[in-house]
Amino acid sequence: MKGELSLSCSDIERYLGEEESRVHALRGVSLDLESGSVHAVVGPSGCGKSTLLYILGLLDEPDAGSVEIGSTPISHLRDEELARRRNELIGFIFQFHFLMEDFSAQENVMIPMRRLGRMNETEMGERAAALLEAVDLGDKLRRQSRHLSGGEQQRVAIARALANDPSVILADEPTGNLDTVNSQRAFELLANLVREREKALLLVTHNRFIADACDWVHEMKDGRIIASHPRGQRISV
Amino acid sequence: MTAPLYIALRFATHRKRALLLSLVGVVFGVGIFICTQAQTQGFAQFFINSTIGSNGALVLRSRFQPRYEGMVVSAKSASSAPAHRNYFEGITNVSEIMRVSRQFSNVVACTPVLRGTISARAGFETTTAELFGIDPASHLRTTDLAKQIVDGRFDDFRNNTTSVIVGYRLADLLQVNSGGTVQLLSPGGEYWRFNVAAIARSGVGTVDASRIYAHARVAQRLLKKPFEASMIIYKLRDPDRAPALASHFENLFQHGAQSWQEREEGNLQIFSTLRMSAAITVSLIILLAGFGIFNVLTMSVLSKIREIAILRSMGYRRIDISAIFLWQGALIAAVGSVFGCILGALLTWGISKVPIHIRGLLYTNHFLVVWDWRHYFWATLLAIVAVFIASYVPAHRAAQLQPVDTLRGSSL
Repeated sequence: MKGELSLSCSDIERYLGEEESRVHALRGVSLDLESGSVHAVVGPSGCGKSTLLYILGLLDEPDAGSVEIGSTPISHLRDEELARRRNELIGFIFQFHFLMEDFSAQENVMIPMRRLGRMNETEMGERAAALLEAVDLGDKLRRQSRHLSGGEQQRVAIARALANDPSVILADEPTGNLDTVNSQRAFELLANLVREREKALLLVTHNRFIADACDWVHEMKDGRIIASHPRGQRISV
Repeated sequence: MTAPLYIALRFATHRKRALLLSLVGVVFGVGIFICTQAQTQGFAQFFINSTIGSNGALVLRSRFQPRYEGMVVSAKSASSAPAHRNYFEGITNVSEIMRVSRQFSNVVACTPVLRGTISARAGFETTTAELFGIDPASHLRTTDLAKQIVDGRFDDFRNNTTSVIVGYRLADLLQVNSGGTVQLLSPGGEYWRFNVAAIARSGVGTVDASRIYAHARVAQRLLKKPFEASMIIYKLRDPDRAPALASHFENLFQHGAQSWQEREEGNLQIFSTLRMSAAITVSLIILLAGFGIFNVLTMSVLSKIREIAILRSMGYRRIDISAIFLWQGALIAAVGSVFGCILGALLTWGISKVPIHIRGLLYTNHFLVVWDWRHYFWATLLAIVAVFIASYVPAHRAAQLQPVDTLRGSSL
C-alpha cells in the first residue's frame, strides 16, 4: 500500500441484535485506507461488509477496537463531533442513492455544503454545478431528482458525496441497483474522481468486475477479513 | 438561512394539504380566542366604565366608631372573633374630608351625595326609587352623568332646583319624559312635585331602573336628613388602585370606604368566570390544532426516516434533525398566529356590528368588544406553546432515530 493514511480501523468488534438474536457481526477487523486508493470489500450477504462501512463512516460505534482519521482516534468523540467529522471528511454513497426526491440535482449536492456552512448560496450553487458537470449532469442541474434515471440519480449521489471535498468516500454497493452499462460507468467515474482528487474510496460490492478494477480487494466472511489482495489477483467471490 | 430551516421549508411544502389543515386549526384557534376575549372583556369593561361613571371608583360612606381593640380586656369565655363595627349614618365634616381627599394624587375629583329611598309617582304609576341628592357642579366633575343624558339637558337641571334627572328605565316605568313631572313621597307622607329636566342612561341596569337625581339641599329637606351627605363619591386617576386607597381612607377618616371592585364583586366574578370559560373552550380548539400538528409532524417524521438517515450520514447532528421539525412547527405557529390575529380582528369587528337587545344588567343594542393588544399577545403565545409542545415529541423522535437501522434495512 502507498500514500497518506486517511482512515483506519483496528480490531473492530461489533455485535448486532439483542439476547438470543445477537450476532457477532465483526470479529477483530482491521483495515487501512490511503489517499488515492480504491478498496473493495467483497463477501456473501450478512458477512459484515455494511456494518464495517458504517463503523468506518462514524455512523455506528464498535463494541471494541478503534477507528482513526489520520492518526487521530475518533471512537470516543461525542455525537456532535462525530457528525462534524462525517460532514467534513467522509462522503457516503448508497445502493439506493437516497436523494431528496423534491430537491433538484443541484440542491441535493448542496445539502452537505449547507451543513458545513463555509460557502454562501452562490458559491454552493457554483460548486454543486461543477461537481454535477464532472459527473456529466451539467445540463440537469435543476431537474428534480425523482425525474432522473437510476444511473443519473447515482451520479448525483456521487457528486453529493464529493460536495465537501472529503478525504474518504464510502460506498455501499453503489452500483447494486444499476444495469451493467450504468454500473461500469458509475464505477469508472467514481474511481477516476477519487484518484484525480487523491481521495480514499472503500466500496462494498458484489460485482466481481468492479472489485477486480479496485486497487485492493478485501474478502470478508463471518465477520472477518479473510484475505486482502492487490489489483489483478483472483478473488473467490 | 440555516440548513435546518432550509430543509424544514422544503419538507413543509412537500406535505401541503396536511400543513394547510394544521395551519387552519391554529388560525381558527387564535382568531376565535381573540374574538371571544374581546367580547367577554368588552361587556365587562363596559360594565366597569358604566358603574365607575355612575357610582365612582371609590365611595366613602357612614362614619364608624373606633373600637380601641388594643385596650379591650377580653373575658376568658369570650369568643376570639372581632365584633362588628358600629356605624353612624352620614358623613361628618364633609368639606374637611373632601379637602384632605383632594391632596391624594390618585384623586381626580370627589362629590358629596345624599342618598335615600323614596316612592316616586307619575300618572298612575308608582314605584320605589333611590334619590341621589347631588351638587351638580362637583358631580359633573366626578361622574359621567352629563354624558349619560339621553333626553333633555343637564343645564336645565343645574339651573332649576325643583327639577330632577330620572334614570332611563325608571322613566320608562313611570312613563315620563323630559319636560314632564314626577312626584316624590317624603318620609312625612307628603308628595313633592318635580320637573323632569332630563333622562339619564348609564348602561347599568340597576342604576337606570331606580335612580333619581335631585339637588342636594332639596333632597335633604325632602328626606329630612340631619346630615348633608350620606356618602362621598371619588373619581380616581387609576381606578385599579381603588382598594388600597379605600383601606387608607377608612383608617384616615374613620368612615367606611368601598372600592368599585368590592362593590361590584359579584358581577365582576360573573364576567371573570365567563372570560375564563371562553378562554378554556377556545384553548381546547388550539389544543386540538396542537394534536393535528402532532399528527402531521409524526407522519412527516415517519415518511422522512430515509431522508433523516441520509442527512445524518452527511453530517447533520441530532440537534439539526430536531431543528428541522421544530422549524416546521415554528412556521405553522408563526403563519397561523399572523393569520389568526387578522381573523381575530375581523371577527371582533364583525361581532361588534351584530345587533343585540340587552336590557338587563347592561343596556346595549350591539355586541360590546374591547380592542386590546394583550388578547393578540396571549393568543399568539398560547399557539406558540401548543405548537412547540406538539412539535417537540416528533422532533425529538426524529433526532433519536438511528441512521444505521434505516440504512441497513435498505441496503442489506
